[in-house]
Amino acid sequence: MSASSPPAEPSGRRPGARTGRTRRIGWALCLLLAAALPGGGQPAPEPLTIVSRDGRRPLPTVAIDGRTMVAVTELLEPFGLRLGDPGPRRLTLLRGTAVMVLSDDGIVSVGGRLESLSAPPVEREGAWYVPTDFIGRALPLLSDRPVELRPRSGLVILDGLLVPQVTARYRRSGRESRLRLLVTPHVALRIEQAADRLLVTFDADAVDLAPGDVPPDDLLRRVLADERRARLEIELGAAFGSHAATSTPGLGDSLDVVIDLTPATTAGAAPTPAAGAAPTATDPGEAEADAALPTLADLTAPSTIRAIAIDPGHGGADAGAHGPAGALEKDVTLAVARRLQAAIQRRLGLRVVLTRSGDATVTLDERAAIANNNRADLFISLHANASVRETAAGAEVFHLGPAEPGADAGAGVPIPVTGGGTRVLDIVRWERAQFRFVERSARWARTVADELRTRLPMSPRGVQQAPLRVLVGANMPAVLVEMGFLSNPEQEAQLVSPAFQDAVVEGLLHGIIRYRDLAEQGHPFDPLDAEPPADDTAAARRPAP
Amino acid sequence: MRLGKFAFGAAALGAAALGAWVLFVGLPRWYPAEDASSPGGAAADDAASGLTVATLFHVSDDGMRLVGSPFQLARRANPTAQARVILEAQLAEPPAPLLSAIPAGTTLRAVYVTGDGDAFVDLTEEVARGHPGGSREELFTVYSIVNALTMNLASVDAVQILVDGVEVDTLVGHVDLQRPLRRNLDLLEAPSS
Repeated sequence: MSASSPPAEPSGRRPGARTGRTRRIGWALCLLLAAALPGGGQPAPEPLTIVSRDGRRPLPTVAIDGRTMVAVTELLEPFGLRLGDPGPRRLTLLRGTAVMVLSDDGIVSVGGRLESLSAPPVEREGAWYVPTDFIGRALPLLSDRPVELRPRSGLVILDGLLVPQVTARYRRSGRESRLRLLVTPHVALRIEQAADRLLVTFDADAVDLAPGDVPPDDLLRRVLADERRARLEIELGAAFGSHAATSTPGLGDSLDVVIDLTPATTAGAAPTPAAGAAPTATDPGEAEADAALPTLADLTAPSTIRAIAIDPGHGGADAGAHGPAGALEKDVTLAVARRLQAAIQRRLGLRVVLTRSGDATVTLDERAAIANNNRADLFISLHANASVRETAAGAEVFHLGPAEPGADAGAGVPIPVTGGGTRVLDIVRWERAQFRFVERSARWARTVADELRTRLPMSPRGVQQAPLRVLVGANMPAVLVEMGFLSNPEQEAQLVSPAFQDAVVEGLLHGIIRYRDLAEQGHPFDPLDAEPPADDTAAARRPAP
Repeated sequence: MRLGKFAFGAAALGAAALGAWVLFVGLPRWYPAEDASSPGGAAADDAASGLTVATLFHVSDDGMRLVGSPFQLARRANPTAQARVILEAQLAEPPAPLLSAIPAGTTLRAVYVTGDGDAFVDLTEEVARGHPGGSREELFTVYSIVNALTMNLASVDAVQILVDGVEVDTLVGHVDLQRPLRRNLDLLEAPSS
């Protein structure tokens, strides 16, 4: 501060004011550098955003050894925490009388409750950093404020605010185009036009716009989220004439909003699919480009799910679990598999692959190989459960996980092709095939469990991850369904009954329909339609939700 | 003198040969090396040196989760010997109302702890033959063993289960045993959904 600085500055520091400022600037530069290069040359990742009743505020993150982490000191104030005395190999956080101990192997303990983090905390020059999943997994144990982390958008939602997630997809079809917004959960909304934009206002506290697929053109420039209110702004292009919007309840508590955009010159014209029918108003280049684009009908027609692999568990020498009245798991699984096969073929017209069609011994790896070789798009392994506790009951759905270290997808190998150049061939080791589908399998498992839940008794553990061998080699989204506990006399009677078996079939059939619809809508669970190699690398880098 | 010198040399050579035989053949034959991991083995540093408390894992009342309970066990200085003590307690029938996830009659053939944190637990075939089946129970069987070692021994990060000395795909058709498994705390949590 110079001679004109406010008199509040203590006079005793005046002689050193200039050097003090230089020092402060130096410190600020150091801090900036430290913030920008925390892991030694890694770029700073995007900050998270805390959304609470008090508005939005950024929560800075840093990249350490390739992971996005948050400094513990950044969490103290927003969550009302205090740092306890750091012990050897552990970190202590306090809130009121509650104590959280975070050990250096990534285990969080609060009053006897344990949570494991995706990575251990890291200490750098006296400051502690935790992986971002600490916010969603560990903080709720200590805080009485509801906390939700949205890994995809980086939102940290407090106080149970209603923040629907919106995924936008935009497709041009000739001169018209269609913007599709998938809103989860379902909330009321209003669409109005204001000058050069459409405003979509949600009956919610804020909106979480997932990075979607919106290639800009002359009808639509971009879709933006308004950070001050629960509103999306759709910036319209110069050619825009009018819009028509419909919204229908989507699957799984979502809302499917379709906004058709029509250019000014042909407003009101019927959407004729004939390419080149109206070349007059466009230059030849544009007409050519339009002809190459799909029509609106094309956008919804083809299914991404064409074949289903059904794996009747056990068989042959391996009878599986035994019921107290003598039912065998291998017979129950085959009976349900046959019913499911018939239902899928008759009602969905999809191809079905059975890993065994009779009472045969088939190894677990062979079962996955049959599904892979027949290019199945979804894999369902059918089983019946058992427990040493006779009362254990209910269906359970498993997907593969958690990933063991080094279990990521294999790297692509460049292979020369005729005509020059190379093509990256995706070579994946057998035991890692399924890890490319972690997110899709999780979604597939939740979809199946949701549909079974309305038709069958479910175990309190509805959906879980487990390292199940039959799923390991499956090169597609894969689940294992334990339909019920054969060791429970009541459930044994159910499992052998046609009515119960039909209920299982009905649930699985609806699960397939719902998953197929989600896949076609480009639901945010995963870019199903992305090229596999690009998708794999993205999936491998993405932190687990 | 000449003869005396020769006799002395021959005697020395004979004594050396006998000594070598005793050292390399006789002693090992009379006192076979005790492997800490073989049944009944007890290396010098495995001698009981008091008691320790370890958490062992059993099936909950509703059959839906594993519960950890403290057990007082003999303390061993050697991690492999301590692993053996823990596993033998984990394989034993627990006091009521706890119920073991490991089939009765299963015994420990051997346990090895490697320098890089993997433990190999070799069980007798009863672990598969006496198993009721089902993913739920197989998960509990496998993870009661995996958790017993990884939660109680700092030197063990992951556990691979062998049956009758060989690697297996699974015990009864579900849980992948082709590689060492890390601890699973999710199975301890009360089901929420």
